[in-house]
Formats: sequence, C-alpha cells, structure tokens
Amino acid sequence: MRTTSVKMTWAAVSVGFVVAFSVPSGGRVLAHHSFAAEFDITKSVTLTGKITKIEWTNPHAFLFIDVADKQTGAVTNWEIEMGSPNGLTRLGWTRTLLKPGDEVTVDGSLGRNKANLANARSVVMTATGKKLGAASSEGAK
Amino acid sequence: MRQISLVVVMFVFAAALLAQAGRGAIAGRVTTDQDDAAPGVTVQAKDMAGKTSSVVANKNGEFRLTNLPAGIYEISVPQMGVRTARFAQPNVTIEAGKTLTFNIKLMPNNFGIIGDDGGFLHIYNKYANQKGPAPRTRDGRPDFSGVWLANVDPNPTPAQMRPWAQQEWERRRDRAFEGMPTSRCLPLDPTMTLPFFYKIVQTPTLLVHLFEQDPHYRQAFLDGREHPKDLDPTWMGHTIGRWEKDTLVLDTVGLNDKSWLLQAIWLPHTEKLHIVSRYTRPDLAHLNIDVVIEDPDTFIKPVERHVQWLFTPGEEIYEAICAENNKFQEYSAFK
Repeated sequence: MRTTSVKMTWAAVSVGFVVAFSVPSGGRVLAHHSFAAEFDITKSVTLTGKITKIEWTNPHAFLFIDVADKQTGAVTNWEIEMGSPNGLTRLGWTRTLLKPGDEVTVDGSLGRNKANLANARSVVMTATGKKLGAASSEGAK
Repeated sequence: MRQISLVVVMFVFAAALLAQAGRGAIAGRVTTDQDDAAPGVTVQAKDMAGKTSSVVANKNGEFRLTNLPAGIYEISVPQMGVRTARFAQPNVTIEAGKTLTFNIKLMPNNFGIIGDDGGFLHIYNKYANQKGPAPRTRDGRPDFSGVWLANVDPNPTPAQMRPWAQQEWERRRDRAFEGMPTSRCLPLDPTMTLPFFYKIVQTPTLLVHLFEQDPHYRQAFLDGREHPKDLDPTWMGHTIGRWEKDTLVLDTVGLNDKSWLLQAIWLPHTEKLHIVSRYTRPDLAHLNIDVVIEDPDTFIKPVERHVQWLFTPGEEIYEAICAENNKFQEYSAFK
C-alpha cells in the first residue's frame, strides 16, 4: 500500500516554478582590473558607428567608432574597451576581423571618468548582423 | 523481549519507507545573462545539515537532481572562471514526491566584457570529458606538464581576518578594488588560484608555471634545496617542492606584502605569508590543488582553497605585455 502511494507521488511533477537571479557581489573584475572603478554598470549605452581605429593591444583591445547624434548629426568619436587580444583570440577573433570603415553596434556601460568611453559587452557587425565572438563562448545554445 | 524486537523492526521498516517516500527532486535550465545555455556548470543542493548533492548541467544547460530528502535547501552554482558569478539561493523548499522546476540565470562575473572571459565555458566543455589515467614521467612521477585551464574554488570559505586586515580589506572594497596590482601591470596573486590558463613545464628538478600575467613565470625547485635564509621579499617568493608519494608539495615563502590574494576578494597580507600547495593528478583531465595560506599576523586561522584545473592540450598560452597600452589609471574614477 505504502509502495503504491510512493509511486503515485513520484508521478507528480512541476508544482512550482522559480526563476532565480544571482545577486551581484563585490570584487568583480576584468581579467586584470576593477570594472566598477572604470565603468558604471547602471549606465548602459548602445552605440552604432563606423570604426576609425583599432588598438589590438594588451592588456585591452580598443575600438574607436564615429557615432552620429540622431538629432543634430554631430559626430563624436567613442573609445570602446574590450578584453585582451588573447581572450578575444580564444573567442575566434583575429586582429583583422574588424577593419576601419566597418560599421558595428556596441552594447556596454559608460565610462566613469572619461567622456565618450564605454566597454563592449557585445559587438554586432552591421554588414552581417553577426554578434562577434559571443555565441562561441557559451557552447551549445 | 520478542515483542520489543518486533516493534523495533517494524519501526525501522516504517522509517525506511517514510524516508523513501519523503523525497523530491529539482530540475531546470541554467542560462547566462545573454540567455545562452550554460552547459558544464555544476548545480548544488545543500541541506540544512550541510550535506551537498550536485549534478553537472548537460549540453542544453539542463539539470535534474533527484532523490533529495524533503526539506529546505540552498541551491547554488559555483563561479566558472571570470565568466559567471557564483549563484546562490537559500530557503528553497523541496517537497516529497514532487519535482520543483527551478530555472537559473547566471549573472556575469565580469559584466560580460567581450573577450575578457577567454571563452571559459566553451573551452571548459571542449575538454571536460577526457578520459584516461594520469601520465607519468620517465622517473615514475606523475607528470603535470601541459596547458591547464584553472578555475576558482567552487565553494570558497570566508577568510577570518585580524582587525587591521579587515579594515584594509574594507578600504579596498570602498574603492571598488581599484588598487589591485594587476591594474597597474604588477604581478598577480602568488597563490596561483586565479581562473586563467597556466602552462606547467616539469623536469625532475624543476617545475615551472608559465602564465599570461606579470611576472609570467614561477619556478619551483625540486632538487632538494632549502629556502635561503634572509630572502629579499618578492612578489612570487621562493618555492621549493618535494614529493610525498604521488603528491607534489610546493612550499612558498619570501613573499612581499604587496600582492592581493584570491580572486574576487583581494585579501591583504604581511611578509609572513606562507603558501603550501599540494598537487595531485587523479586522472588525465584533472589537476587537484589544495592550497593552505598561512599568515598569523593577517588571518585568525589559515585560509584554504581547493581548486581543480582542467587539462587543455589543444590550447596554448601567449605573450601578453600589460604595460604596452594600459589606460586604467588614466580612466579610473579613483585618483
């Protein structure tokens, strides 16, 4: 009798549904420096523009892009911080993957202490719509 | 007497049935902040007594933990490299005979800076299923040679610091840890527990770690020498090693007090710092390193870390000269 009851209760499924998010903790860093000292996670920014320069350097690679103001058309050159060349290479990037003149859309956070500075959380190439280096970092989707 | 025995037997039988009946399960999917599956991460369920059950998420990020006694659990996912922050949710109720659906979204440990995680999960999963025995050197020792992907301690215990150290740590925290030495292209943590790539070069008398942060190498002498007296304190210190059967015990002293210890918490220390690291290779894929960090002037009791490195024979480490183009101090909000 008891055994039957156990079998029956095992047939019950999905009584609750929980979506949980982890709580941010202190001390999070880029591979070599504090994120929070340089960027403000609460100030997200999305920028679209043509690449004017690429610094494929350590400890970080940088993209420089010309971004036009939608209202005035005034163009501002933004500096975009990414990971190290080694880290980017492991995501499938090469130093010639992006070239001056290519248009990209960058999603990131604003710099704290310098105007027109942001980090890149993702980089999408306009010509292909491809999110660069991101999918390969997560394995199967 | 016989009646009492019968009652006892019946009671034990009933208890066993109740225990079997009083079990439940938890299942769900783990994703990253970008809503990608997070395969290969470990999901842990810890009961009120501290007993932990765990399972590794499959290629779709799905997991299922079954046969859990009904009760209150902490559900956690350890940090993986610098890609994802540790997830932990206490007070999750598992009911008897039921499966709780529990989906987990991991927050980025590094706010998702592109390239900064070095493709940790991707590379980890590429090598996670290697099988085989640990190789040995010609002289019969376990061979630790090769490129390894290090990870942090999945369940780190907090350090108990003396008052000066606690104050110093709070000062660092209040400045968003901007002073970490690597941000100024100074050397990394001498405990060697950061989640980066390391290459080990092993000879009978020397074990060398190569890595992509300053100072790019650490040598451990296995030739029987002792630590020199009156060492000048240095960033990586002086390391000697000896074999205890198949365990290599590395002993490091002669450290300066400038380095910050342990990824994400960045502890202070004095020149009395003494690090003992025990290396074992249980199989082809894994290197287990148990680290004991002693400094009686800083820590009330030694801090321990238990890390596992993954053998990644298709990977390589590369030059990375930090001083080439480091703009952090110019761009930091702290001066």
